[in-house]
Amino acid sequence: MVEVTSKGLTRVREIYQDRPHRAKELRAEDKKVIGYLCLYPVVEMMTAVDLVPYRMFGDMREPITRADTYMPTVVCPFLRSLLDLGLKGKYEFLDGVVMAHTCDVGAQVPGLWNTFVETHYSHFIDTPHTIHEAAQKQEKGELQDFQKSLESLTGKELTRERLREAIEAHNQQRALVRELYDLRKPDPPLISGTETLQVVVAVMSLPVEEGSKLLKEVIDEVKERRNGPPKKSARLLVWGPVIHETPLIEMIESLDANMVMDDTCVGSRAYFADIKLTDDPLDGLAYHYLVELKCPRTFREGVYGETSKEHMTDLKSRFNYLGDYAKEWRVNGVILQALRYCDSHGYEVPVVKDYLANIGLPSIYLEHDYTEGALAPLRTRVQGFLEVIS
Amino acid sequence: MTKVVIIDNDEEIRARVVSHTGAEHRRLANKVMEEGLKQAGLSFDEISYVIATGYGRINVPFADRQITELTCHARGVVNFLPSVRLAIDIGGQDAKGLKINDGKLIDFAMSDKCAAGTGRFLEVLAAALGLKVEDLGNISLKSANKVPISSTCTVFAQQEVISRLSEGVPLEDIVAGLHDAIASRVAGMVKRLKIEPDVVFTGGVAKNIGVVKALEKNLGCEVFVPEEPLLSGALGAALLGKEITLKTLAEGEPIPRGERRLEEATFFK
Amino acid sequence: MTTEVKKRAINRLQTMYALRALVDEMYQSSLEAKKEGKPVAWCMLDGGYGGPFLNAMDVESVYPENYGTICAASGAAAPFLERSAAEGFPDHLCGYARNCLGYTATMTELGEIPPDAPTGGMPRPMLLLSSGMVCDARFKWFQALGRYLNAPVWTLEVPRPGMRESLMEGAYERNVDFIVKELRVFVTFLEGLLGEKMDWDKFEQDVNTTIEMDRVWFEVNELRKARPGPMHSRDFWSSMSASALRTTNPKRVTDLYRKMYDEVKDRVDNKIAGINREEKYRLTFVGLPPWHSLGFFDQLAERGWNFVIEQAYHPPGPIDLTWVKDPIEKLVRYRYQGLDHQIDDIFEPEEAAKVREEIIECGYSHQVAVRDAMDYQCDGAILHTLLTCRGTTAPLLLAQNRLMEVWKVPSLVIEGDIVDQTLFDPVDALRKAEAFEETMDHYKKVRKEAGLGW
Repeated sequence: MVEVTSKGLTRVREIYQDRPHRAKELRAEDKKVIGYLCLYPVVEMMTAVDLVPYRMFGDMREPITRADTYMPTVVCPFLRSLLDLGLKGKYEFLDGVVMAHTCDVGAQVPGLWNTFVETHYSHFIDTPHTIHEAAQKQEKGELQDFQKSLESLTGKELTRERLREAIEAHNQQRALVRELYDLRKPDPPLISGTETLQVVVAVMSLPVEEGSKLLKEVIDEVKERRNGPPKKSARLLVWGPVIHETPLIEMIESLDANMVMDDTCVGSRAYFADIKLTDDPLDGLAYHYLVELKCPRTFREGVYGETSKEHMTDLKSRFNYLGDYAKEWRVNGVILQALRYCDSHGYEVPVVKDYLANIGLPSIYLEHDYTEGALAPLRTRVQGFLEVIS
Repeated sequence: MTKVVIIDNDEEIRARVVSHTGAEHRRLANKVMEEGLKQAGLSFDEISYVIATGYGRINVPFADRQITELTCHARGVVNFLPSVRLAIDIGGQDAKGLKINDGKLIDFAMSDKCAAGTGRFLEVLAAALGLKVEDLGNISLKSANKVPISSTCTVFAQQEVISRLSEGVPLEDIVAGLHDAIASRVAGMVKRLKIEPDVVFTGGVAKNIGVVKALEKNLGCEVFVPEEPLLSGALGAALLGKEITLKTLAEGEPIPRGERRLEEATFFK
Repeated sequence: MTTEVKKRAINRLQTMYALRALVDEMYQSSLEAKKEGKPVAWCMLDGGYGGPFLNAMDVESVYPENYGTICAASGAAAPFLERSAAEGFPDHLCGYARNCLGYTATMTELGEIPPDAPTGGMPRPMLLLSSGMVCDARFKWFQALGRYLNAPVWTLEVPRPGMRESLMEGAYERNVDFIVKELRVFVTFLEGLLGEKMDWDKFEQDVNTTIEMDRVWFEVNELRKARPGPMHSRDFWSSMSASALRTTNPKRVTDLYRKMYDEVKDRVDNKIAGINREEKYRLTFVGLPPWHSLGFFDQLAERGWNFVIEQAYHPPGPIDLTWVKDPIEKLVRYRYQGLDHQIDDIFEPEEAAKVREEIIECGYSHQVAVRDAMDYQCDGAILHTLLTCRGTTAPLLLAQNRLMEVWKVPSLVIEGDIVDQTLFDPVDALRKAEAFEETMDHYKKVRKEAGLGW
């Protein structure tokens, strides 16, 4: 076993720079590593049968050369990049992939992956669209099928015991991430948005216990440090779909702003609700993954089956958690970022703006296309926004 | 293009320079500054504060601070017309809409990904028609029947325009159509900001009377153009510089200067 | 001296006209219903799940997706699209959605239907019935309409499992159960919204009549396998709305479809084609049609291109449901037939077992997709990629791959958009079409050598 010598934020940066490294080491030790796309694949179930869940991403710096044969250009560039990496064999180190019905194009990727990328194992969780009661039951049914699939792959039984242990381990990790996020509440925050993103990305590349250990190191280190982010005028929250690389956040933090909180899936959406331990653990999992995950891909109404509707009431019930975040982290501006062609978030932008305007929080919408070049014009917009709110 | 405006304590303009620096703006910013100093009869050390703004603002080594062209333009147009609520700036490579309330910038819209709503559009199309950009305005005034240009893309618009010409469509109608195309595109961009009078139009394209009229039609209200539409950004920057300087002096603080050297930018920091 | 008037390239069916007129009727009745204070819903293509419930409870409806095509074709979309942008909606979103968002924002601001709205416009609804079929973006769109309408949104859930997952033990029954349960809650919701009880007899009757209507329509389309193809895609698109969207009078439409069946059968018997030119090439169209530029197909028909089948909007095939007592369950088992059944329907037992094995092993099977290419003996496919529709565009290149892999049928990609006409370039598309004919000729030979039937 390789001795890990670096710790805390140094180790985080190492992992961030070379994510597959640890996964490859684990495979050399005969562990199985399963890639997953977005937050809807249930990592606890994978952990419960000794699989290492590994979050899959694209790569902003890799030009897309092979995906165009299978996917038109007018789709999410993140997913195109992901498929491109798969076609180029960059995900060969995975023993399989788990994907879910996250969005229209996300639901196409598994078919393409099965057909054109060599993979030993794959499973697709057809997450329902609403949070209705029948949908929760359906989600549980989907997880039961996922369980069968995992048992077939590993030859191990996914017992309730093991599942409970896995849920507890992942919940502990969630609590640690929340503890880390607490360190962003002071002014200035003790850890920057850029660093936080690197931590989360690193943790999503490791088995749960290793990720938790790393988090503890980072928390201890950050509490003691004297070289944290400088005080800035703006304390921002960033909302939107997947950001897993730092250039956008770095650009924002190079201006008179600190990113102190987020509502993204490589961030708070993954960690801010614990899974309830129910008799049949799948019930708690189904509830968490369908109802509690805050991605706009899920259709939520203010009141289940409401026959009357009022816009702001509906928005408040859907987004009041953002108001809570803003209060707790003393946020004074919100950056709504989305990838071009992201429909789930695209429709949401004006209504989130409505909600934020209602609670008196200024916001700006930035659309980008998953390239570093696209960030230069955004810099003027962000700086302009900061000048407006100052 | 690089512009320099120097103002004094009474907000009198002591120097105004508009210079074509093209891709060399980084290397030549100091030269334009020197021209301004010559005009004003001042040495560099006599300048209390320098603000850089615009696309190349990070490449001005002798600036004390950089502020976006959004805030600077807003300040400049407020100076021109204090009752302004909406400012539209169409420059060579981008177009901006600025929402202003009580003299302060409160929201904005930018279009800088594509040539179609910018001065570039007219440059390219003028060349395709064998015309000078500065003549476009007067030519379009002769038009009685502007011809709609449906292509939203500069490249395709060129083809379309050549086709129209070969069909015998009068030149002035085509030019009027181009003006309408750029005006409607920009109007579309700023509608998000809610169009409210008074509206000010600045930037190189504002010198084109045809576009001014087309913009008025597309917005449904009168549009005011300052005498020197190219200078509102630089002027606004100078005014902001004055505000910052006086404020810090009033607070008894030293003026927060950058590490200034009036020389060429040698490399990108 | 008389000049011979050349016949129009596409040989339109006489029985199509009455069916096409149903779309305009839909707008008329909804405007009238609104005037009389009756409930009107805005719906979307939902796979036929919603219609019988609305019929049984006398709710009229219009389809903003369809309205998007009307606005596009009549040139009325531009101000609505502009308004949508002004409201802050990104411009890559679905053209139908943006047209509707702009329309609704304008209607709310004016306090009435926008004066220049085509076909008299869409009345303000009291229900937004959305669906999880085909694409998720649509229920986000209806949800976003909440900025301008306080009508509640109900999303009809439809599962979309992967191939392998849908063959897992119990998966099909679980999915049926899910849809049925959701629909029962939908009824409770409708009863609360309308203040009326569901008329179950009426509902059951409507389900049965609609299934019969679709059966006849299915048979009409089976006739199109003949050579030459007796019915051009344009006639399909003009006649499909009752089945693909909704009709409040399925009995009446069944008669109309029966008449169409007779007319098409007559053509088959007399070898009359759907085009008035020699059928040189048989094509299938994949994706959403360019509603705003359907005249393009006439130009292709001039070249002998007969579009014999299209890949969207078709009803499910007939299935034995005599054993199902509950009408909601019957509706669901008809609309959601599942992959298992599809495999048994298409293949003989031995072949079916192989296909299942392939799916379980690899997660997919090319054999199950785009079989129309073979059934309708297609020489080529036109794939219509749309700038603002990811739901239908994302799968297109995979379809291209499958068509070639399995059937040696080449595809031509033509770009466009559902609402923005300027993105569809018929001149360029025709140029490509010319070259594509050579490709199709080549693959005719390839198929012969490979022993494929056509």
